[in-house]
Amino acid sequence: MSLPAASPIEQGVIDVLKNVSRRPVEPHLEDDLVAHLGFDSLQVLEVVAELEDRFDISIAMDEVSATRTVAQIVARVTTLVEAQSQR
Amino acid sequence: MPRARTLAAALADAAHGAAGYVFLSGTSGSSGREVPYTRVYAASCRVGRALREAGLRRGDLVALILGDAEAFLTTLFGASMSGFVAASISPPASIGDLEHYLALTAFVLRSAGARAIVTTHALVPRLEELRAASGGTEVPGRDGGLWEGRRSLGGTEVPGRDGGLWEGRRSLEGTEVPGRDGGPWEGRRSVGGTEVAGRDGGPWQGRRSCPELELVLAWEDLDAPDHAIDVQPALDDIAFVQFTSGSTSSPKGVMVTHRSLSSNVDAINGPSGIAASATDVAVSWLPLHHDMGLVGMAIAPVYASRPAVLMPPEMFVKRPAEWLRAVSRHRGTVSFAPNFAYDLCVRRVKDRDLEDLDLSCWRVAGCGAEPIHPPTLDAFAAKFSAVGFRETSFLPSYGLAEHVLAATFAPRGRTPRIERVSADDLTARHVAVSACRDVDRDKGSVALVSCGTPLPGHRVEIRAENGGPAPERHVGEIVLAGPSVMRGYYRDEALTAETIRDGWLHTGDLGYVSDGELFVCGRAKDVIIANGRKHHPQDLEWAVDDVVGVRRGRAVAFGSSAPGRADYVVVVVEPSGTVPADTLAGAIRARISAVFGLAVDEVVLVPSGAVARTTSGKVQRAETRRRYERGELA
Repeated sequence: MSLPAASPIEQGVIDVLKNVSRRPVEPHLEDDLVAHLGFDSLQVLEVVAELEDRFDISIAMDEVSATRTVAQIVARVTTLVEAQSQR
Repeated sequence: MPRARTLAAALADAAHGAAGYVFLSGTSGSSGREVPYTRVYAASCRVGRALREAGLRRGDLVALILGDAEAFLTTLFGASMSGFVAASISPPASIGDLEHYLALTAFVLRSAGARAIVTTHALVPRLEELRAASGGTEVPGRDGGLWEGRRSLGGTEVPGRDGGLWEGRRSLEGTEVPGRDGGPWEGRRSVGGTEVAGRDGGPWQGRRSCPELELVLAWEDLDAPDHAIDVQPALDDIAFVQFTSGSTSSPKGVMVTHRSLSSNVDAINGPSGIAASATDVAVSWLPLHHDMGLVGMAIAPVYASRPAVLMPPEMFVKRPAEWLRAVSRHRGTVSFAPNFAYDLCVRRVKDRDLEDLDLSCWRVAGCGAEPIHPPTLDAFAAKFSAVGFRETSFLPSYGLAEHVLAATFAPRGRTPRIERVSADDLTARHVAVSACRDVDRDKGSVALVSCGTPLPGHRVEIRAENGGPAPERHVGEIVLAGPSVMRGYYRDEALTAETIRDGWLHTGDLGYVSDGELFVCGRAKDVIIANGRKHHPQDLEWAVDDVVGVRRGRAVAFGSSAPGRADYVVVVVEPSGTVPADTLAGAIRARISAVFGLAVDEVVLVPSGAVARTTSGKVQRAETRRRYERGELA
């Protein structure tokens, strides 16, 4: 049995998380940035900036606190990228 | 030295000139909103009048819970110039956990005896809960049911210890039940003796008991007709109170008088400080509830009638290049930040961000508020020299909120003076012995940065363990005397007497003097410093105490620090045995990050009884840290 291949956005989010983390991590979709990956508030905002640059999107500050798991981030980025491409 | 002025007088003087604040917001490219001091002054007068019309009286404490810089500053100035005691309190973090924030803030507000809160419309309903609980009527729990510690089961009122409202401090039988921290009962148990859970499933923490709180006001509504302030505060009145941290056991509110504020700010602006001139422009991203942000970057420019460009801290943290871009675009000359900010720029500013930067205008790049690491300064200078930054612009400094802000400054225009000393001699013998230069720059030595000499009219001494003066190059506690020493901690005479003895402010920091210059090399008090902010271990312990799987009262937090590197944040807990280790460690990290925005470097789970405690049951933090550092807890 093979696992379904990660989407480009999912892979991009995981790359960003690995780059921002100070210690080696293997992020999974169900992981929480803070509880499982050990990010502090500075790193969470660094992730936001890196995602904005990589996907050419803009993430509002008030969205940040509601988006905590890798899956939630992937979903949010996917929505924003789709909205971007429709403009 | 210029004539001492109250904050109100300095702002009134600045209002005669053309300078003012520039508030930056949004994304890059936005130029910011200019608000001349004339308008800041007028707006502050209106806020002061509105506060008076709302029913505040001279001497009442007004807590400011405001993240927006313009709202914060006009409220602080307005309250201060009208004779109210303005207290700055950290607003909730953007990614924070509001329930725990409110619980911590309730402790601070109660111990401060806050009569009013000024906050935003968005937070008013939540903060109203703190006030609602101080009324005399029975208030059902938020979940609709549980008793919240106001009346006895039989329905009769039981007065609190102070003879005022019942605060859940006595049991039905009338005997005092001490709280976890040894303080008064905090309403954590129901009448039947069983624990009452808070809404989030954690224990009830006495969250809604701020008996003196009467008003929760939205800044947006604080307006009144223009008017001239008719009460002038005196120089020895309190200019503001700064809560250095919402510690659960002892929130520390530093009382700053107008006279000490003026003494410190005038010394900062003076020839031995930054030597403020007519062409200066301050640029800052620092939070205004922090002494360096408020005094150094927002108030010092007012006293010098010079412009200040302020950006929200989140803007800097998200994109550190924005700080440098603001310096470049606004031709900033003075900007202070803790070491970690320079480090973030080294690590996160990208090459393409350098293209449109010109930092040749930046003459004072102040560094303070946390230990300064020479490699950070070196790397910053190396990276940004290509866009005009000069290493001689660095101005290492030392200070603390209890001394208004600054205590020592390195001389301007000098490459930071570094001493490389033997690490062993420093920690074991408390002596700074120069490490051999030709020996490998390695593990055996540590590089320290000179924080310079005392401000004019101020004194710095090093005290040996026996309380006497330490000789040159001997490590001891840094003590300060002079006009900038705080009046004391608000409503805490015991802590004040412990901290200020014979006129000397005991800082809890360790350092030594070499050739007349101060080198800071550690801390005697168990404060944890991370990202330029001080955290009290009690707060961290309190926050994790009700994490499911942690044994009550068996959590210890500390910073394992060594000279030359940042604190390594460690939390040691005894598990209650019901939660898998990985899950428990994650939950502890999550709680501390959510409440304090702080990353825990290591969670250590130890067997029952392994956390050192006193005979009265209090955790022994220093002993636990020693055991950890000797590897006995692994």
